[in-house]
Amino acid sequence: MSGSVVPVLGRFSVEKQESLLKLSILSISVVLAFSTRLFSVLRFESVIHEFDPYFNYRTTRFLAENGFYSFHNWFDDRAWYPLGRIIGGTIYPGLMVTASTIYHFLNSLNITLDVREVCVFLAPLFSSLTAIMTYLLTSELHSVGAGLCAAGMIAIVPGYISRSVAGSYDNEGIAIFCMLFTYYLWIKSVKTGNIYWAALCSVAYFYMVSSWGGYVFLINIIPLHVLVLMICGRFSHKTYIAYSTVYTLGTLLSMQISFVGFQPVQTSEHMLALGVFGLCQILAFVEYLRANMTQENFNVLFKSLIIIISGIIGVGLGVLTLSGKVAPWTGRFYSLLDPSYAKNNIPIIASVSEHQPTSWSSFYFDLQILTFLFPAGLYYCFSKLTDHNIFIILYGVFAVYFAGVMVRLMLVLAPVMCILSGIAVSSSLSTYMKYLDSSNQQTKSTSKVGKIKQDSSSNTQKEGIAYIFVGMITFFLISYTFHCTWVTSEAYSSPSIVLSARSHDGSRIIFDDFREAYWWLRMNTPEDAKVMSWWDYGYQITAMANRTIIVDNNTWNNTHISRVGQAMASTEDKAYEIMRELDVNYVLVIFGGLTGYSSDDINKFLWMVRIGGSTPEGAHIKEWDYYTPSGEFRVDSEGSQTLLNCMMYKMCYYRFGQVYTEGGKPPGYDRVRNAEIGVKDFELDVLEEAYTSEHWIVRIYKVKDLPNRGSR
Amino acid sequence: MFFPLLCLFSLLPFGLCNDAKNKGVINTNTGTLQERMEQLLELSSRRPIIRFNNKLFKDLVRGSPRNYSVIIMFTALSSHRGCVVCRQASDEYSLVANSYRYSQFYSNKMFFGLVDFDEGSDVFQSLGLNSAPAFLHFPAKGKPKKQDNMDIQRIGFSAEAIARWIMERTEINIRVFRPPNYTGTMALLTLFGLVGILVYLRRNNLEFLLNKNTWSILAMFFVLSMVSGQMWNHIRGPPFVHNSQSGGVAYIHGSSQGQFVLETYFVMGMYGMIVMGVILLCEAGEEKVDPGFRRIQAIAGLCLLAFFYSLLLSVFRSKAGGYPYSFLFK
Repeated sequence: MSGSVVPVLGRFSVEKQESLLKLSILSISVVLAFSTRLFSVLRFESVIHEFDPYFNYRTTRFLAENGFYSFHNWFDDRAWYPLGRIIGGTIYPGLMVTASTIYHFLNSLNITLDVREVCVFLAPLFSSLTAIMTYLLTSELHSVGAGLCAAGMIAIVPGYISRSVAGSYDNEGIAIFCMLFTYYLWIKSVKTGNIYWAALCSVAYFYMVSSWGGYVFLINIIPLHVLVLMICGRFSHKTYIAYSTVYTLGTLLSMQISFVGFQPVQTSEHMLALGVFGLCQILAFVEYLRANMTQENFNVLFKSLIIIISGIIGVGLGVLTLSGKVAPWTGRFYSLLDPSYAKNNIPIIASVSEHQPTSWSSFYFDLQILTFLFPAGLYYCFSKLTDHNIFIILYGVFAVYFAGVMVRLMLVLAPVMCILSGIAVSSSLSTYMKYLDSSNQQTKSTSKVGKIKQDSSSNTQKEGIAYIFVGMITFFLISYTFHCTWVTSEAYSSPSIVLSARSHDGSRIIFDDFREAYWWLRMNTPEDAKVMSWWDYGYQITAMANRTIIVDNNTWNNTHISRVGQAMASTEDKAYEIMRELDVNYVLVIFGGLTGYSSDDINKFLWMVRIGGSTPEGAHIKEWDYYTPSGEFRVDSEGSQTLLNCMMYKMCYYRFGQVYTEGGKPPGYDRVRNAEIGVKDFELDVLEEAYTSEHWIVRIYKVKDLPNRGSR
Repeated sequence: MFFPLLCLFSLLPFGLCNDAKNKGVINTNTGTLQERMEQLLELSSRRPIIRFNNKLFKDLVRGSPRNYSVIIMFTALSSHRGCVVCRQASDEYSLVANSYRYSQFYSNKMFFGLVDFDEGSDVFQSLGLNSAPAFLHFPAKGKPKKQDNMDIQRIGFSAEAIARWIMERTEINIRVFRPPNYTGTMALLTLFGLVGILVYLRRNNLEFLLNKNTWSILAMFFVLSMVSGQMWNHIRGPPFVHNSQSGGVAYIHGSSQGQFVLETYFVMGMYGMIVMGVILLCEAGEEKVDPGFRRIQAIAGLCLLAFFYSLLLSVFRSKAGGYPYSFLFK
């Protein structure tokens, strides 16, 4: 890595060769970062994946068409019927603004891309930029060689790819870039102590705040760095200037995002930053006094100041907390600090698979060799401790903790894993490469004439070991490449809106039921129809079918979701009351019994029961009523009667009793639960089947009107 | 969904001997309602859970008329029975009873009692109970229904579950008051105290706090424990190893969805070894120590690296189905 000479390029000077090498390695990483994320586009088509991205896509289209001000004031009446949602004030707008800026820019150059194409390819584009940013950050922290290593690693690390494949149009896609950008500028400003860099850093921080709620991690790790520097006695004027500028400017800027509002000065998550800011000022003031006073006077003053200030802070915090001005820890953040908090207290958080803890195999799956190169990199950083190395150590240790608590924060960990592993690989390689680098050796031996004898005796055996070591590292890096490509291709490149499966003869079958059904809704239902479904599908329905929905993935109103859960878990006549109350016209369920699609509504059903039963109105819904006496969740004839008579069961299995699904099995055989369904012949009283997609994955029912005369 | 695995204590062998003695004695020994209420109030003022023996049970619980209902735990607490579950259940039950005794809803509508098998085996007999613990509700009017027998298989016997069941059966709402658990706080305080004392004692020589080697080892240990999934263990509480039905022991969980505690220690050890290998190799590259020692260091590092990396690969391969790569051994 340390400027090895390629003979073909001998005509250029060494500096030029080096920069050419750097440039080519970096550009290869950039191209690789972009292209490895295109598996799904090549296999399917350029579609937007999963759930949240559909909402982002819809808002981006709105922004691109109507401009920023109408976007900012947008009240969305298509979601959370009848409550609606103020979109402008409840999202992080960074992603949409970025995408629509790119869209307008390209169109002004007469490159007429659709908004959707921009959205699909935004995440890969920003991953390429992240690779460059990682290079810059790591070069600033350690060396250019480490930077190149890290850039190559982050280009293909699965932990990051999982959130940034083409079509996964989500906040995290650009947030990681923003985060690394902020860190880079922070390191720059700590190194130089220059207000210019610090101001730039706060602008980058503003971009980060505007794009992802995970900025809270950033606004805690930077003050923590300053705090540790203080404790180590490394606090200097440079750090003082950098932090004071970044904190003041950054906080003011972040408060401009309407979703963030006054949180930076009120909630506990931001208090560390505020406290460290105050500490900075005190420390600087104390230094100033010490320089201008005699020692005895200073000691007296110092002691009394400490007592007074800690008293004021203690009382002030107490009063503010008691009066409710300082908000207590919010649920999502609390679940990071006390890992069992969310699991016990908030079913809606516990039900999201992204909020689960991380097992060792998923660490390995997402990071492979980085898991053990990372500690080695830590070791290197500790052995050459500097101000900025302390920062990367802190970032690494905290990121690994949060990634352990919540699987989706693997995303925050992946960059620092790459940076530290890059440092480890680069510094160990450069240790050994010098034994293999013949030209280097000659210059060295001529300069140290006295040591020639000693060197040459050890050098021959050293060389052997060096060869093995370099071979070993090469092998590791190659295995890393293979692993990453395999993981990307197998695990992270399925769009989940279009499903695929292998048939008996090995050919690929595509299930495009979701889009088929949403399109049906769009073309065949009245413009103002209200659709009820479980919240997972809310964003997709509003974006693709353009119909009003009751609840969606922005789970801000637990009681409303609970109401839907109650409707799904009740008997038909009870559910009818709820549906009339919510003014529902159509009900949509996802059913995988025919195709074997396992994340369908029956498998999610227990969550609907739990969430439905978690509010006072749903107190009659009890989870154990849906189990068999022996505590099993079964859909066959031994299942509990409550389950077999609830709305969800009926909607999923209506007419299913007449269908043959698998050879050698009776009709009505559910391929997900591997059971023959319990109740086959039944009619629906309050609903009528409106549409069932080709493979029965999506089933839509129309809610019947009230009868004209009296009771039915 | 997870159900507590109860090792229900079987009482069947003890109960069969004294069958014929008590036939037809129920409801014969009836005092007036007034007397019974007085007796009950006196008993319950002594302790929140009334201990019933055969006679008391017949008088106060099965006797009629009654205007009060009784919740009874049937259990086997004496040590020679060796019923661990009973003791746990008893603790939870007394929590509920105490919460009720000292709550504002306390009235003489409902009483808590227990029948120990060694004192009231006849009662067990007459009710056809052959396992302990069991919770039964005897309503003021009518015979106990099926739901009056609490299903501990399904809802467990935590105090909250018992209180909820009582709420369903009697409509008396008991807010379970658990005495707060101070052990965690105490341990933390002791730890801080010890650290504080240590720092104070060595206040003239605080170098060790700034010693980067200590911190580097701490940080690396922390990282290794996180990466090997200790946090997952803390939250999910998996078993140490899996004892399969056939008597074998599985150390490695078969799918990538789960893990056992011992397995994560293995993984942590493997990671530790690999990291040590890398560090040994790096140290061997330094030019400070003598060449022979360096060579041994380097070779040891390489061997550690190669061996444990391939071990890790094969363990992962056994968990993740379809993973195509391996090294040195399958």
